[in-house]
Order: sequence, then structure tokens, then C-alpha cells
Amino acid sequence: MKYSSLALRLLWREGRSGELTILFIALIIAVSSSTSISLFANRLHRTMTFQAAEFLAGDLVVASPTLLPTVWYAKAKQFHLQQAETAEFSSVLMENDELLLVGIKAASSLYPLRGHLKSTQTDYTDEKISLQPPKIGEVWVEARILSALKLSLGQSLTIGEKTLTISRILTYEPDKRGDIYSLSPRVLMNTKDLEATDIIQPGSHVHYFFQFSGKQSDIIDFKQWAKPYLNPSQRIMDIHEDRPELSTALTRAERYLGLSSIIVILIAGVAIAMATQRYSERHFNTSAILRCLGCKQNEILWLYSYQFLYLGLFASIIGCGLGWYGQQQLFYLLADLLPSQVSNPSFLAIILGFLTGLIILLGFALPPLLRLKKVSPLRVLRRDLEPLPSSAWLVYSCAFGLISCLIWQYTNDLKMMVTLLGGGILIILIIGVILYIAIIKARKLLPKLSIRWRFGVQAFLREPKATVSQLLAFSLTLVAMILSFTVSNDLIYDWQQQLPENTPNHFALNIFPNQLEDFKADLKQENIQLSQLYPIVKGRLVEINETPVQKIVSKDTQGQRAIHRDLSLTFSKTLPNDNQLIAGKWWKEDNPKKGLVSIEKKLAKSLNVTLGDELTFTVGSQQFHARVSSIREVQWETMKPNFYMIFSPATLENFSHTYLTSFYLPKDNKDSLNRLVKKYSAMTVLKVDAILDQFKTILAQLTQAINYLLYFALLAGFTVLFAAVYTTLDQRITEGALMRALGADRALLCNSHLVEFSLLGFISGLLAIMIAEALIFILYYFVLQLNYHPHWLLWGLSPLMGMVTVTFVGYLGVRKVIKSPPMGILRMAEGG
Amino acid sequence: MSQSQVSQTTDIIIETKNLSKTVFSSHTELHILSAVDLIIKSAESLAIVGASGSGKSTLLGLLAGLDTPTNGHVIINGENITALSEDGRASIRNQFIGFVFQSFQLLPNLTALENVMLPLELAGDNKAQESALFFLERVGLKERVTHTPKQLSGGEQQRVALARAFVTRPKILFADEPTGNLDSKTGKQIINLLFELNHEQQTTLVLVTHDKALAKRCQGTITLEAGKVL
Repeated sequence: MKYSSLALRLLWREGRSGELTILFIALIIAVSSSTSISLFANRLHRTMTFQAAEFLAGDLVVASPTLLPTVWYAKAKQFHLQQAETAEFSSVLMENDELLLVGIKAASSLYPLRGHLKSTQTDYTDEKISLQPPKIGEVWVEARILSALKLSLGQSLTIGEKTLTISRILTYEPDKRGDIYSLSPRVLMNTKDLEATDIIQPGSHVHYFFQFSGKQSDIIDFKQWAKPYLNPSQRIMDIHEDRPELSTALTRAERYLGLSSIIVILIAGVAIAMATQRYSERHFNTSAILRCLGCKQNEILWLYSYQFLYLGLFASIIGCGLGWYGQQQLFYLLADLLPSQVSNPSFLAIILGFLTGLIILLGFALPPLLRLKKVSPLRVLRRDLEPLPSSAWLVYSCAFGLISCLIWQYTNDLKMMVTLLGGGILIILIIGVILYIAIIKARKLLPKLSIRWRFGVQAFLREPKATVSQLLAFSLTLVAMILSFTVSNDLIYDWQQQLPENTPNHFALNIFPNQLEDFKADLKQENIQLSQLYPIVKGRLVEINETPVQKIVSKDTQGQRAIHRDLSLTFSKTLPNDNQLIAGKWWKEDNPKKGLVSIEKKLAKSLNVTLGDELTFTVGSQQFHARVSSIREVQWETMKPNFYMIFSPATLENFSHTYLTSFYLPKDNKDSLNRLVKKYSAMTVLKVDAILDQFKTILAQLTQAINYLLYFALLAGFTVLFAAVYTTLDQRITEGALMRALGADRALLCNSHLVEFSLLGFISGLLAIMIAEALIFILYYFVLQLNYHPHWLLWGLSPLMGMVTVTFVGYLGVRKVIKSPPMGILRMAEGG
Repeated sequence: MSQSQVSQTTDIIIETKNLSKTVFSSHTELHILSAVDLIIKSAESLAIVGASGSGKSTLLGLLAGLDTPTNGHVIINGENITALSEDGRASIRNQFIGFVFQSFQLLPNLTALENVMLPLELAGDNKAQESALFFLERVGLKERVTHTPKQLSGGEQQRVALARAFVTRPKILFADEPTGNLDSKTGKQIINLLFELNHEQQTTLVLVTHDKALAKRCQGTITLEAGKVL
């Protein structure tokens, strides 16, 4: 411990001489990039979650068939949460001798806690945003209610025993959820009028939704508290559980952010390991002298560890500052895209950035430092005595342990971590051995080369172990850069594919079979392109292999939710375009058998249903069976009709059914919609513009953010590559000086360096793309669920980029030797 | 071990018995040093001479506890350092021993003053700077204390090394060809300075050299040939 202040003085003296600059810069890069990424990701995540929370009208929603006990409200208050509630139920309204089944929603005064309502007094072109439900005594209704019940604005509407005034036409509610195919037209009223309607009696079928909002940590705490109190009929919803199409995008983006930080940390780690290696080699003499002066082995280790700790602290403080500034700039650049209210970063993210710096330093710098401890004091008499390298397992297990922790945290999946790391290490080992053998074999070619080539190639081949480790270090940096680049590109491309220009923004349901041809003709006349029309039969799953489903499914799962309501069942000869079979076979399109069903993958998993199982459904009072003949993967985010269950036509076509479709209608073409709604009065049109827009905005934001992160990772990569090449220059500089002293001319020297660096860069680039492709395949397949395809362009670009960068930086570094008189350099090397 | 105990035990400061060093390669044994018995008394000066490869530096390394013998042992100030751990020997070096090397061995990133202060700082001496300045002035480098080794000539670097060697007031000073890297005039100046300081500080001096004139200035001389004392 007595060395802590001496270490500080030594650090200052070393720092002054410029000895630590590269290490210091590498550390600052590591900390500032990991801090700014983690801060940025943290803030973006909070902002996105906030935005996504709009879809739920709160950060967390409890769905329940009954009112919640008062202790819930008290607890919510204790956690400083805002609270709102809605009650939803169906009711038949009767006005002007017309009957209509509607979905009534009674909302409390703070509803919606997140997002907003939209309503109008004329038509879709005059929408107004409001953050509160209708006033007491008023209702807002969907336009189709007015036409169906022959009402107009300002008239009264009787709900149960209470008469309310229709003050506005409701056009958008943030939390329009669930099975959108069965939505009845909406009536929105104030909770305070609910009692007077006298509709809700004991035993009435009511869905209560209790929304909560507040600080994320409070929400999490509240969720933790609430979970044990839930009964089987209640469930908690948050953005990740409730909106599959959004949560996929969010999860992928989050995973990309996580991947980016690992990549930057890895890049910086490589730089730190190389810089420390160099530092440690340059300090063999110092250690030997210190040993002569009576320093014990552990004291030497402490002396250097303290210096590195101080260095880490300084670099981390500066890095955190820069990281903070960097993420502020990112948000500034993205200001137009992001919502006006951006969440503040959590303090934890800064602490995490700070700790990351120290941990990276420890993981990557300790092994080379340990070598200093082993320097023999006899080295003062015999310069050639080099300390034994730190045992390989120690060096690699340190870095390995660190990377495993990071990947584990990132994937949250032990099996995956083992696969990724095991795969990675195996690839690196195999490549390392092949390279080693190749280098030894290639030496035989040396005498056949002309002198201009020979020196450069010789330098490259001279020390196979050093060359292999340099190659791996450079290629690892390049791998990181390639990964960053391709994953971001493919992610963005995949998103664009998901939501092309004319993604359907309207769903039309309740089209009767006898209207079908007219409807098609009308759409054609209005110049509207529709996607496929699907017949819909409402039915319920009741048995699996003759066992009642209630006995099979577990609580609070997708399966449980699916069996508690009517499902939209459909039949089709062909497999829908964007569905993918993952098990079983599709029925013969020309002659499909009766009694077959194809089930969606996640529901099948949740219900424990496998191929060949027999499912029993009820439709109205009738019951029928179907055997599972295939399992499908469905892309929920396409905004086209998607189904959990698709039957072979003969199974279902005799039940009465209506049709469902989706189509794209430009926003300014609302007249066509009005005409259609008027003509097909029973038809329900659902506008998903708002959801789609919100979805598109989120994707656009993520795309931008990911692009900026990519630039960041690339910048860090280049900087580190620069630093890494520099750390390998010492020996080259001394040898260059010696060659000049022996009469080599500048052109020969320059040529030989160019050859060596080009070889290093080219082979690193080639290795990098090989390793990267393997990792990308693993990542896409297991983590990001993207389709893998080879990146041929990069097979050309990567070696080229490696060659140009390494040669450029290397040349900058050795230029000094080529230009200055050799004596000075030789003396400098002697003194060092 | 305290000073009073040391002076009571004996006048002998270094003693070796049957000191041998053998290097084993795959097929052969190379005897670098064979059965060297030595006794060096306190404040004595001893020159070790011999041709290149005769084992001079090996002997010096063993005497100073920088290396361990294959056989035999070294006793410094009454303590068998061969039986000590590496850290134990480091402790002995720190308390009793100073070094001067042929290639100076200054730390390139430290100034002259910082180089001289270092051994005192390692020992936790609060007056490191004061003592270091005193010895730098004594070796005639008062004006150059802020210069780094690169900015100093070879002779000046060796003066800094002398100041560093004496600043801890060691009981024994080991010098390995101290003039080997210097021209004869500068070498002479350094040797004069070395003997002056040695005399002032009453240090035991063990000096490895192939310079017979230099060896003659020491009180005793041993000659090595093929690892044996002649």
C-alpha cells in the first residue's frame, strides 16, 4: 500500500514522457464509446418504451374482470404512480327503432395516461387531440354508430338508464387492443356516468383495465409487488408482453444496441491488450532495475497496478464526460425524429460506463502486466533475458471471462453464450493453427523472391507467433467493424421490407358473402388494391386430444388468453404468402382433405400442441374436430390479416362466415372510405393509420440511431486499428534503422515496410470476413431472427480495407525511420 | 537485521562457499563457474578480472543475489542469501547493496533527479529529493538535474548512475565494467569519482573489469579463467 503515492508520481513522470498516450487514448475510446452507447441506448429505450406505452395508454396495465382491491390503489400511490381506469363491456343500443351491438368504454378522468384520444366534429379531416375522456353527461361515438342508429352530433344517446349527449365523433383511441377482428363500434363515456346507467350488475361481463404510469423503476417495483396478488382471471400487460409486432422491433433494436457496446468494448479491449503488451515489453528493463533496487515481485505488481488503476480512473472520468457529450450530440442530431420529450438517462448508465472502463482495463491489461512481475533482476546484466510469458490460460481466461459476462448480459441466455463463445474460440483456434502452419510453410518461398519483396515478406514471416497474434488482433477489430456494419444494414433493410410504401392501413371486416363481388368491384373502381379476402368464422378451442383445454394451459400465457375468447378461424386452400411452414405439410391445394388445421407456432408452443394432435372447436352450438397437420410462423408486423388457426376449406366452409381484408388507402383519400362505409353499413372499417405511423416513426428513429451507432463503432474501430498498428512499431523502427545503417536505401526500406503492412492488412481483412460471416450466421439464426445471406461485396472490401488502413497507418508510423538519420534511432533504442 | 547486530557479528561482509553455476542444455552441461570460495571484508575493494566468457558477470550476479547458484552459497552480512526467497534477496539488495552497470541502466522516462530519488522513494524515504540533490551535486551534475538520460552524454549518465548507487548509502557496491561504454578520459574521471565516493562512504566495492590498470587500484584482485579462480 505504501506504493500508492509513489505510483502516482511515477505515473505522472511516465505520462509526461508520452509513454502512456496510446493506452490512455484506447481507454478513453473504450469508456467514452461504451458510456455514450449505454447512455444513448438507455435513454432511447426509455423514450421508446414511453412511446410504446401509448399503445397501452399507460406504462403498465392490469386487466381484470372485477374491480381491484383498494390495497392496489394505496400501493400505487405509495410508488408515486398515476392511475386511471377503464371499464369495457358490450351493450345493445336502441335508437330510432334501430338496434346495434356496441363496445362501451367508460374512462376515468386521467385516461389516457399515455398517448391521446382523437376525435372530430365533422369528418376525418378535422381531428382534434385530447388527453381526457368526454365530460360528465357526454359521449363520443364512432361515426358508424351515427349512421347505423340514424343519429347526429348533439343528439342524445341512451345507455341503460342514462341519457347522454353525443358531443364528438371518436376517431382514435390509443389502446385499441386485442382481437381487432371482433371489435364492435366504440362508445366512449366518463366513468362518473357509469353507475347511473345501471348496466353493470353483479355477474355482468365487464373487462376492467387499470392503467398505471410513473418512473420506470417504480413501475418495475409495482409490477414485482403486484404479480403474486394476481388471480387467474387477471393479468398484467406491458409493452413487451402485449404488442408482439412492436416488441419484436424494440427487442431487435435493443439487441443491436447491446451488440454495439460489446463490439466497441471488444475493439477497445484489443487495443488495450496490445498497448499494455507494448508497455510491458518496454518496461522489462525498468522492472529489472527496480528489482535490483530491492523491489519485491509483488511490490512491482502493485506499483504497476496502482499506476494502471489511476490511469483507468482518469481515463474513465474523461471518457464518461466525453460519452455524456457524445450522447447529447446524438440526441441533438436526432431531435427532429424523436418525440419532444426525451427521457433523462439513468445515473446507473454512467456508473456502468465508469465501471466498464475499469473492468476492461483489468481484463485486458492485467495479463501483460503480470509479466512484469516475473522479470529477472539478472536482466540488468544480460539484456536478452526475457520473462516467461504469463501462462496462456491466465491471459485468455481473463479476457474470455470478461467477454462471456458481456455476452451473457447481452443475450441473457447461457446456452447461446456458450454456443457463440465456443464457436468463436473454435474458429479462432482453427484459423490460428492454419495460419501458423501456413507461415512456416511459406518461408520456403522466400529465396525465390526478389530482394524488394523478400525483406517485407521475411519481416512478416519471421516470428510466426507474433504475426499470428497481430493478425488475430487486427482481424478481430475488423470483424467487429464488419459485424456492426452488416447487422445494422440488414436490420434496416428487414424493417423496410416489413413495411413497404403501401402497407395496408385499413382493415375491413363483416363483409357478407353475398356482398363480396360488389365490394371487390367497388374497391377496383375506387382504385384501391386489396390484399387477400379471408373468410372468418368465430369459434372457440375447447379440447386438445379430448382433454378440456382449461386443464392443459398454464396461467397467464398466450394459450390461456387464446382459449378465453372467440378466435377468428379461417379456411384457405393456399398458404398465405408471408406465412412460413416450420413443421408438417400444407394440404394439397387442388384436393384438400377435411378436418385439418394449421396452427401458429407460438400458440402451439403455449398450448403444447404438436403435429397430429386433435383439436376440438365449438362454433355457436356446433362442435367439430380437426387434426394439426402443420405449424406456421406468422409475421405479425406485416399489418395484413394473420391467423392463429387456418383450416382446410371443407372443415369450415359450411359454417356461416363473413369476410375480412385489409387495404391501403392514401391519407388524403378519405372520401372513398366514406362512400364505402355508407354503402356497406354492416361492414366495420378499422383505421390503423395511427398505429402504422407510430410504428413507422419508431422504426425510422431506430434506423437513424443505429446508423449513428454504426459510425461510432467504425470510428472507434479505425482509431483503435491506428493505435494497434502503432504499438507494433518498436521493433520495426529499430530494425529499419539498422538496415539503413547497413546501407539499405530508402526506397528498399519503404518498399519492404509497404509489403509487410499490406500482407498484414490483407490477410487480416480476409480472416475478418471469414470470422464475421460465421458469427453473423450464428447471430442471425439465434439472436436477431433475421434471414442470413452471404455478403459477397464485403469479401472484396474487407481485405482491401484492411490492407489500405494497416499500410497507411503503418507507413505513418515508420516514416520517421525512413526519413531521419539512423544514428538517432539506434541510440534511442539503445537507451530504451 | 539492525546495524549494531551486523557490526557485532563479523568484519566479513561477503562470503561464498563452493559457489558453482552450471547450465544444462539438451546434451551437455556447461560449467560457467566452479567451486568459488571467497571472503570479502567490510570496506575492502575487490576487482574480478578475466577474459570475456570467463564467468565474471555470472559471479557478480550470484554475489549480488541477482541469480541463484547450482551449488554452494553466498553469505552477505552474515545471512545466507542463497537460502532466501527471491523476495528475501530483494530485501537484502534494498538494505545493503548498490549497483553500477556498464550500460548505465537509467530509466529513460525519468529525469536525472528522479532516477536518483527512485531507490529512496522505494524505501519510503521522506527526504529523497534532498539526498538525491546532494549526491547529484557531489558527482558534478547540479545543473542537469531536470535532464532525461537521452539529453545526457554517456559520462553524465554514468555519473547519475553513481549518484543513484550511493544515495542509499549501501554497505556494498557492485560495479560491472563501469567504464566499458565510455572513452578512456571520461572513464578515468568516473573511476576517480567512484573511488572517492567509495572512500567517503566506507563502502565495500566489488568491481568486474578486464582493465588491469583499474584492477590495480583495488585492494585485492581475483582472476577468473573458464569459471575457476586462478
